[in-house]
Amino acid sequence: MRSPREAGGGTSLSPTLSLLFIAPAAILVLAAFGLPFLLLLALSLASPVEGSLVPDMSNPTLAAYSRILGDGFYLRTLATTLAMSLATAAGCLALALPLAHWLARRAGRARRVLTAIVLLPLACGALLPTLGLVHLLGPLGVVNGTLRGLGLIASPLPLLGTQLGIVIGLIQAFLPFAVLPILAVLDRTPPVIEEAAITLGATPARLWVRIILPLAWPGLLAGGLLVFCSALTAFVTPQIVGQGKVATFAMLAYQQALQVLDWPFASALAVTMLAALALAAVVTFSLARLRP
Amino acid sequence: MKIGTFVRATGIGLILLFAVAPILVLILAAFDEGRFFRFPPRGLSMRWFIAAFESAEYRASVTRSVVVASLATVISVGLGGLAALGLVRGRPPGQAYLEALILAPLALPLVVWAIAFLQVLSYSGLGGTLFGLILAHVIITLPIAMRVILATFTRIDPDLEAAARSLGATPVRAFLRTTLPLARGGIAGAAALSFLVSFNDVVVSTFVAGAGWVTFPVRLYAQLRGEGIDPITLAIGAMIVGVIIVGAIATELWPRRRGR
Repeated sequence: MRSPREAGGGTSLSPTLSLLFIAPAAILVLAAFGLPFLLLLALSLASPVEGSLVPDMSNPTLAAYSRILGDGFYLRTLATTLAMSLATAAGCLALALPLAHWLARRAGRARRVLTAIVLLPLACGALLPTLGLVHLLGPLGVVNGTLRGLGLIASPLPLLGTQLGIVIGLIQAFLPFAVLPILAVLDRTPPVIEEAAITLGATPARLWVRIILPLAWPGLLAGGLLVFCSALTAFVTPQIVGQGKVATFAMLAYQQALQVLDWPFASALAVTMLAALALAAVVTFSLARLRP
Repeated sequence: MKIGTFVRATGIGLILLFAVAPILVLILAAFDEGRFFRFPPRGLSMRWFIAAFESAEYRASVTRSVVVASLATVISVGLGGLAALGLVRGRPPGQAYLEALILAPLALPLVVWAIAFLQVLSYSGLGGTLFGLILAHVIITLPIAMRVILATFTRIDPDLEAAARSLGATPVRAFLRTTLPLARGGIAGAAALSFLVSFNDVVVSTFVAGAGWVTFPVRLYAQLRGEGIDPITLAIGAMIVGVIIVGAIATELWPRRRGR
């Protein structure tokens, strides 16, 4: 079957005309997205001017970076954020793999409805699920209320304002990011492979380790990277669920940009996040070669 | 084997419950009659929904969100649709790069961009303006709109248009009468998705929105950071979730024209 995109049946545009069609969108993204990204590095080298938002760009300085690297607080926060992002990615993958595998074997309306349920929190944005989460995890919330009602705990578990609570919130927020890539990979593998393994006597454990895990590996890596990056740059869920008691790196950048108004320092924090993300991508791509 | 199936179904059920628990709790909490939600709730009432409709301040912020999201959607679907058409039907030089460029905001971290964009807007005198906010929203919705419309155009058989042209239709007319009607569903989906993303956005808006254009999510985020949860916002949140669920069900049940 030929792809419609390659076929010559439709009206084709001349290169000039097609460029004219693409130009408005491309120029807009280049100017409003690409340019600020490129300027970020320069902005992080400026020095702040007392009483003014416009920093001094005339003599570039690495002061902001030496502040990040020299102060134990920023490095500790970076380490905490990296650890929580890793935990979030691991948690998402652990839940997403069985869920995606199960979804991949459904069809028709049942599958569409179940997929929609998985995607619903994503469709509601970052804030509304967080709003529910506060009432789920709070001292008087659903989890603590249920446990107390069952007589399992005497005093409420501290979930809000802790790293554990934040990781639970981040897993809930980013679970769809892990499910979708794994689902896309498993959809492309014929179910007969698993059936053959079962017919040949594979135990369930062996089936998962030897068949399903290697098949889903590219999806796991893509989903894991996506969740890790999203968790690393998240500031809404950590702020609300953490109640300001746990600092994350993106929260610091937010505070510097909007509350302290030290824009060169905020830019340097943003560049640092970008570097951490780039490192995560490199690690993931090298893991891609270690397919089990 | 039967027991294994049961255990698996229970496990999957629990994961699904975990995924939607925050949304379910949000809806339950909105109906709690107390000022502070506690579980199990003491009584259920509609009072916060009524209060939501009576609050001029919240009505205004939701209206602002609708205005911003509508403008961003129209611009994104227009520019994104045009770009998708250029990419599908033309052979422009550097096609792959152009496509990657327009999709870039989907792949790169928005917080990092927002910190830079905030400064660029401010230095160019556009800080805190509606224009800046709309521009920011277009950047996050344009790639989504273009991707959906591109996928839609790619799936439509170009031979239909060729047939129309062989029957004497002009290129423009052939496109408008064959490809465009078939793409209507995809374009509507692109618009719905753009609207949803823009309407719910807090990550970028909180950096860019000025005092004059506080959208509902920005207002909600500021309130959650500061004074705690106002039950009225739970009711508004529950209504937004309700609209999304009803919209999804309507899309699923909409009679589809099967076949080509």
